[in-house]
Amino acid sequence: MTEFLTAKKLAITVSICLAVLAAVIGLCTSVGTQKISLAKVISGPGEVPGANVDYEIFVIRLQRVILGALVGAALACSGVVLQAILRNPLADPYILGISSGAGLGAMIAVLSGITWSFWGGSPITIFAFGGAVGTVWLVCIIGRFAGKSQVMSLLLAGVVVNAFFSAVIMFLTSIAKSHQIRWTVFWLMGNITEKDLPVLYVSGGLILTGIVLLFSICHRLNVLTFGEEEAKGLGVDTAKTRLVAFSLAAFITAIAVSLSGLIGFVGLVIPHGVRLVFGPDHRQLLPVSAIIGSVFLVGADTVARTIVAPEQLPVGVITAIAGGPFFLILLARYTKKVGLHFATGRKTGIS
Amino acid sequence: MAKIGHIIEVENLTFGYAPKRKILKNLSFTVLPGAFLTIAGPNGAGKTTLLNLLCGLLRPEAGTIKIDSANIKSYSVRKLARKVAIVRQEFIPVFDFTVAEVVSMARTPYLGALGFEGEVDKKLVRESLEITETAEFGSRSLASLSGGERQRVFIARALAQNSTILLLDEPTSFLDLKHQVGIYDLLKQMQLEKGKTIVAVTHDINLTIQYCDEALLLGADSSYQYGEAKDVFSAGQIEKVFGVKTFVGKVGEKKFFLPLGRFAKDSRFIGGKAGQ
Repeated sequence: MTEFLTAKKLAITVSICLAVLAAVIGLCTSVGTQKISLAKVISGPGEVPGANVDYEIFVIRLQRVILGALVGAALACSGVVLQAILRNPLADPYILGISSGAGLGAMIAVLSGITWSFWGGSPITIFAFGGAVGTVWLVCIIGRFAGKSQVMSLLLAGVVVNAFFSAVIMFLTSIAKSHQIRWTVFWLMGNITEKDLPVLYVSGGLILTGIVLLFSICHRLNVLTFGEEEAKGLGVDTAKTRLVAFSLAAFITAIAVSLSGLIGFVGLVIPHGVRLVFGPDHRQLLPVSAIIGSVFLVGADTVARTIVAPEQLPVGVITAIAGGPFFLILLARYTKKVGLHFATGRKTGIS
Repeated sequence: MAKIGHIIEVENLTFGYAPKRKILKNLSFTVLPGAFLTIAGPNGAGKTTLLNLLCGLLRPEAGTIKIDSANIKSYSVRKLARKVAIVRQEFIPVFDFTVAEVVSMARTPYLGALGFEGEVDKKLVRESLEITETAEFGSRSLASLSGGERQRVFIARALAQNSTILLLDEPTSFLDLKHQVGIYDLLKQMQLEKGKTIVAVTHDINLTIQYCDEALLLGADSSYQYGEAKDVFSAGQIEKVFGVKTFVGKVGEKKFFLPLGRFAKDSRFIGGKAGQ
């Protein structure tokens, strides 16, 4: 009997994943350098500020945990989408140069010593966002006149822009003062810090909207992985779909990067892992990756802020340490396969 | 000339990839609903290009293509995919979709905003899997199938698309004799039972001539012959277009062509017989 993915089945899967995410968020929020009592937290805020310190610590920590969840979801979704439109399982959210563009923006913000803020967003956040969006725009412009094959020319443009901006970042690093370098190094490694509530609301709203919009084109993404000709034959307006998918993915990546710096591996490894278990159907792959990405980053950030307490590690170090070996395993799998086809280990009922 | 009732009408179609070099020049032909048309010709004559024009992937430089009496330019990508389905030469997708998932994608031009298949969609997908005898490996990955099985899956997908026109680009290349015949039997079955209009590009004239009604023979110099298959495929035409002499034999009413190279064993064949 042929099985179909139905809205009901998907809703059940997503609900289970959301329950896991809620549990992980609860657990990770109660863990930290400062021990807090759950009973006190549940009793609610005190009459005056400072009356219930445990509650206040919990709330501040929760803000950071939720930020981690948002960034994880954005990066994982962006990875899923870029792998689909570039038809390349090794693509990640940073492949088209967003990382170096945002990095350059952040460097400029630190080196120029600007201190003004906007809606609670620090100069680094704002400059990184500007750098990311600017780079995507630049890569698209270069990619458009570089050639007929949109995918290849986009990739090439991304590589070129990435290399150039990385060189500029290295130059700026070499002339920067030491206290500035520490800041930017943490940022470049990917670092989640407590953010003001307005930043959390705005970025959270934008990221979730982006993910919902991406979900609405998931069935087209499925077809798009078969290439331009096949997708058109199946009634998909490929140019439009690719533009919408790419813009949304770039946008949520830019927000994630401007909040937390360059956290690597989430956008590459999570889509892969989810695809291995759930299969490549994007209608399921995208929402599940979003949630698993959140779970992974919330967990990684909890390790990052507790493992060398009272000091903190950049979360990017943890994701790279956890993601690196996983990536190697994937590579080993691929090299066994000859040709273009990247098989997954999903049970496919082969007897 | 265009007549009412034709499902495909091509008039004075001209197309070239480079400005100076036209691959197709002033090509005109019409196809009746439920007909089986074979397109043959040497490499580079524009067979696949013509299929790409008929499915809307390429736009004519001059001339018109009408699908179901409406200019192909007036169709949206989505609407056209409901009229025309295409089976391209064999390929394996980047990601590991199962057979059922691949065939379900045929319903993309019919899906609503949420992008989930409804009951009608599922029924059509199941039917297509049954007819093409691919239902048994519905949950297997496409990559795990043999070439013949994979080709059947893509034909199943084209069927599930529920279009009136089925375009195929060399559906039997790389297949063994059994699977070649199997694919053509399946196409003929589609034509007779479902009333599909079939347009198949092929190099295998001997096989297709047993199945098709009409033929379009494209020459490398943008010349073409169009008409009933038995008239279009003659030793003279084949020699003119491919530059190869053939021995013509007959099985009942159907002709077959044995191509003769320089090292053909029997010199009688190279001599007089070719050319009828």
